Amino acid sequence: MLAGLAWRNLWRHPRRTVLNVISIAFASLVMVFLLSFQLGTYATMKENILRMLDGFAQVQPAGYKDNPDIRKVIAHPNKILKRLQTVDGVGAAAPRARSYAILSNGEKSVAAAVVGVDPVLETHVSRLNHSIRKGRYLQGNDQAVIVLGSSLARNLHVGVGDHVSMLGQARDGSVAADVLTVIGIFHTGTPDVDRQFAEIPLARFQTSFVMDSAVNLLVLSGPTLAGVTHALPRVRKALANTHVQVYDWQQLQPGLDAAISLDLNTSMLWYVSLVVVVVFIILNTLLMSVLERTREFGVLLAVGMRPSLLGRMIWLELSLLALLGLALGMLIGGGATLIYSHVGINMPGAETFFAQWGLPGKLYPRLSLLSLSAGPGVLAICILLAGIFPYRRVRRLEPVAAMRSA
Amino acid sequence: MKRCNWILLTTLVSVLSPVIARAADPDPTQLIQQAFDNWRGKSSYTEVSMTVHRPDWERSMSMLSWTRGDDDSLVRFTAPAKDAGNATLKLGDAMWIYNPRLSQILKLPASMMAQSWMGSDFSYNDLAKANAILTEYTHKLIGKQQQDGHVVFTIEALPKPQAATVWGKQIVRIRDDGVLLGEDYYDQDMQLVKAMQTRKVGPLGGRPYPVVMTMQKADKKDEWTRIQFSQGHFNLKLPNSLFTKSNLRNPRKFTFGGSE
Repeated sequence: MLAGLAWRNLWRHPRRTVLNVISIAFASLVMVFLLSFQLGTYATMKENILRMLDGFAQVQPAGYKDNPDIRKVIAHPNKILKRLQTVDGVGAAAPRARSYAILSNGEKSVAAAVVGVDPVLETHVSRLNHSIRKGRYLQGNDQAVIVLGSSLARNLHVGVGDHVSMLGQARDGSVAADVLTVIGIFHTGTPDVDRQFAEIPLARFQTSFVMDSAVNLLVLSGPTLAGVTHALPRVRKALANTHVQVYDWQQLQPGLDAAISLDLNTSMLWYVSLVVVVVFIILNTLLMSVLERTREFGVLLAVGMRPSLLGRMIWLELSLLALLGLALGMLIGGGATLIYSHVGINMPGAETFFAQWGLPGKLYPRLSLLSLSAGPGVLAICILLAGIFPYRRVRRLEPVAAMRSA
Repeated sequence: MKRCNWILLTTLVSVLSPVIARAADPDPTQLIQQAFDNWRGKSSYTEVSMTVHRPDWERSMSMLSWTRGDDDSLVRFTAPAKDAGNATLKLGDAMWIYNPRLSQILKLPASMMAQSWMGSDFSYNDLAKANAILTEYTHKLIGKQQQDGHVVFTIEALPKPQAATVWGKQIVRIRDDGVLLGEDYYDQDMQLVKAMQTRKVGPLGGRPYPVVMTMQKADKKDEWTRIQFSQGHFNLKLPNSLFTKSNLRNPRKFTFGGSE
């Protein structure tokens, strides 16, 4: 009965109600869409950056992360790889050995991170093979070959088919030296990677750097970042007695994590402002309508309606208004997000800026339960809390005084 | 009258003696120069072994080293067999590396200068910029003490304004006869990074010499590098062709030209 009354009251001023519904709907629409867009961008950023090289998680010897010394190794990687295969959620794992070495061509020499990778397993954890611009990526039976970043190749003045000398320090302290043929050149768009990163076959690396069958780290990947992250406690359990450390993506890319938190915190300020503004607009019209209807409330009280019931009615009007607006906003916002999550949003002119965060020129919002409900949820709570003001006002009304008011 | 003179003299001496003693403090810059002269003379030829020690691992290398003036040097490894033939040539600030397996010379990129040299606790910078302490730093005598019948001077070296230096501060200890006893390296935050220490002073090439030295990073007690000099000849006539890239690649047989 009360709900029906409230509903009818709402439509006694259809224009005002529609305007209120629209402002709530618009605010929640904007929040759904922007948050989806933001979270979608973060997810793309994380996955693109992590899939490029670092993987979703890594297994390393103790102390390697802070001081990546070639002599800190996982001596028997196959044992650990086998154990990792039994862990649910870890889709792929690949071994790597790495060192800092001098690459040289004639008078040109450049320091670079040289990484030995298993050409087959590596493609399951890293998308570097998709960034090859010239030549090809490493293959199973490759020997003395190397793939280089585009800037590195340019600095060395080498192209596919040219030779590069590599000079570094082997695991036993001796000099590691090798002559390698450039077989592919990749361009990732990430300047650091393109400038100082090179990959050679793991077997060749292990020979040159006297590694035997040891590697420096294992890279984990899987269908989704969240899936691998959730599997890490199980990974740690499976590797409990092996003297290795397991690192999640935040530990591998603390800068990326911090950048995302910073960006999210900054935009939170905007969301909060939006909520505050909308809530004040609603509150304003609501108080106005309560003021306007003082006479009517006086009559209702005079015919015996209890003040608490009257308060509840006002509250219900507000709730219905909010519900209507939020539902509409979530519907339109969710719909628009869904459409754009397939079509994508072009960001012309921002490609270079995006590239350093591993982002493509086109961004895709991602609709999730969180992005759909967080904004409207907060808005709903704030509106319902704001409803306390008209509620308290109505409860203080005196029937006679109220009826006499203009 | 005579007696009066005597009193005057003793008074004067007692008053002035601290002044005289202070005036006898050597110039710190000259002390460092003296240490460098003792270290390598106008030119030098030394035979050195280097041991790199790690908690679980140790490795020794032997090398021959030639220097000319403050800026130029050539180091050639002779053992172990795996590393024999590797050589480093330094001319001024530039360094080249020769590797026999590649039979090729590589110019050391600037970005590698901070990296470890042959896996030791010495960096390429320690070799390439050793005499920067003379040219890029100001020197102040901050201590003086007696040790084994010698006076040991402690000198603080701070970077000259605008000088692009590797270290924020260096503390050098030099014996009164020019023997280098130690060098501490501090970063820009004045934190000790690593320390070089003379473990043994002995005769080498007819001069007192720091024949055993260690280099150790400040935070790693069980990691160090020891260099030991077994032979040394100083102020030799070295052919100019010794310090060339072609000699780096194709070493000519080295014979002593005799001391100057």
